[in-house]
Amino acid sequence: MQNVVFGIVTGSILAVATLGFALVRQTENFLNVAHAQMMALGAFVGVVLVDTYGMNIFAAGAITVVGLGVLGVVLSAVFFQPVRHQGGTVLLFTSIGLALMMYAAILALFGTQARFYPDVSGSLHRFAGIGIATNELVIIGLAVGSIAALQLFLNGTGLGRAIRAVASNDDLARVRGVPVRTVSNTIWFISSAFGAMAGVMLGVLGAVNTEIGWHNILIVLAAAVLGGLRSITGVILAGLLLGIMMDVSALFIPTAYRPVVAFGVLVAVLILRPEGILSIQRRKDAVVA
Amino acid sequence: MTNPIFWVGVLTLAMIYASLAMALNVESGWGGMWDLGIAGLLAAGSYCYVILTAGDPDLDMRFAPGLSMWVAWPLSALFTGLVAFMIGAPALRLRREYFLITTLAFAEIIRQLVVIQADLTRGTLGVPNINRPFDSFVTGREYNYVLLGIAVVAAAVMYVVTRQVGISPFGRTLRAARDNEAVALALGKRVNRMRIKTFVLAGVLIGATAPVYLFYIRAVSPQLFAPGITFTVWTALVIGGLGSIRGGLAGAFVLIVFTEAVGLIEVDPSHINILVAIEPFLVGLLLVLVLRFRPDGLFSERSAFGAGSRTGGAAAGTATGSRPAGASQASGG
Repeated sequence: MQNVVFGIVTGSILAVATLGFALVRQTENFLNVAHAQMMALGAFVGVVLVDTYGMNIFAAGAITVVGLGVLGVVLSAVFFQPVRHQGGTVLLFTSIGLALMMYAAILALFGTQARFYPDVSGSLHRFAGIGIATNELVIIGLAVGSIAALQLFLNGTGLGRAIRAVASNDDLARVRGVPVRTVSNTIWFISSAFGAMAGVMLGVLGAVNTEIGWHNILIVLAAAVLGGLRSITGVILAGLLLGIMMDVSALFIPTAYRPVVAFGVLVAVLILRPEGILSIQRRKDAVVA
Repeated sequence: MTNPIFWVGVLTLAMIYASLAMALNVESGWGGMWDLGIAGLLAAGSYCYVILTAGDPDLDMRFAPGLSMWVAWPLSALFTGLVAFMIGAPALRLRREYFLITTLAFAEIIRQLVVIQADLTRGTLGVPNINRPFDSFVTGREYNYVLLGIAVVAAAVMYVVTRQVGISPFGRTLRAARDNEAVALALGKRVNRMRIKTFVLAGVLIGATAPVYLFYIRAVSPQLFAPGITFTVWTALVIGGLGSIRGGLAGAFVLIVFTEAVGLIEVDPSHINILVAIEPFLVGLLLVLVLRFRPDGLFSERSAFGAGSRTGGAAAGTATGSRPAGASQASGG
């Protein structure tokens, strides 16, 4: 049971990260490989603010999330907007290029030494024999809160409706006068902010090192594909499922296999169930001339 | 600037990347299969070669037959082909993005397996002092020229083989199926079987290149096969021109010479972080710039096949149009 709790914590972080990723996939129509580097950047900016400047973890987290959200908007304007008309594959490879450049920036700015958030774990609470630290509770709470806020924003506001309109059919949305540019900027802000938040959370739970990005992009991709990219609920469930499976599998097989479990699940689901989300994609591919 | 041995090394590395990029071009450029699992195939080929040739009892490897490298080399190519088949058979049922994610996941699984199976592969310790051909005849610094020779021959063979595939009826059908699968199917082409064959062929070619890479690196460890190398090969191919026969060769040459030359800049030791960061930064920047200002790369697919005949030119014309087609498909989703 203890591992299930760990899994839920891991899964909450994964769900936050993957939602940001899926949002861009749905509205901008490409897989943004640089998303995970935003997570790494978030972890580093947060650790520098807390550790070097002695800031409160919540203040540091808030600054990181908002700051990197804005950075995400700027990066999208510089890197992605100019090649947007060239379609998904060019955007995908541009995002790989951007990911490499962000990785280089992280290396240059923060060095290769692993860093740690100073003790922020808080006290250990016990419920029916299961221990959970304060920081883990806060992480779950923040994840639930931010996802709920996103849900309310998408469903309850005009801009949220515009985003959903662009996600379902961007040509139609443009024709109908939806402010596509505003929508795009909002998407990039939310997506980068979610990535940065997941990065800070990951950093709080473990060590912050430069390889966080490359390590997590695969897990985020796995969660995004499992969740089907379309529904928020699907992404949350997939994130939790992957998190729990990775942590529970540690009971039966060596922890070294943890990432292999995630990719194994991904491959198994893709192969056993290529229909569903994929069947539409497939038919479309077959008819595109 | 600096000594010639350095540039011999740079050229050798460029030739190795060129071989990998040309192999990738067969499956991704012509086959339309976006494979992000090159690192995994390279790891499979490399470790197969290392294990088969290992004979040093000090290394304490559980299985070390100590085969001759001339036996191990073709065996690793075949083994990598087999691994490619095992990945390709399930993964090729998936399309573009999903295929790409699956190959990336498989590559990462292979790398983790190498780490975990430490009694076979020495895990993160790696295997040092890999046997190299002719090193009993030529020693020391002169050996670098021998290595360059091997790499050039490997790249030349790769060029000839991939060119033959590209201009053969098989290659033409492959490109046709990439551009319009429905028509290829309607003409009775067995598209899926063709793709599996292509994927396995690319695996064999990458597996055959793996030992050359090892001769250059001299010691093998799992970090070599992180996704970074996949992205470098892709960048080389995109710079050179996806789908063109010479693209991989030219792109790898430009990319490697450029990044290695910038590495020569004298940097104060206190700025070592920046030195480490230069290479990924340049690779990323080149990729972004080429995609933005010359998305077809240095050599386009049209230039590679347009010279043949009018129909050939027309076919290549639709091929270069495949990117916007992908765009309309994506925006329709």
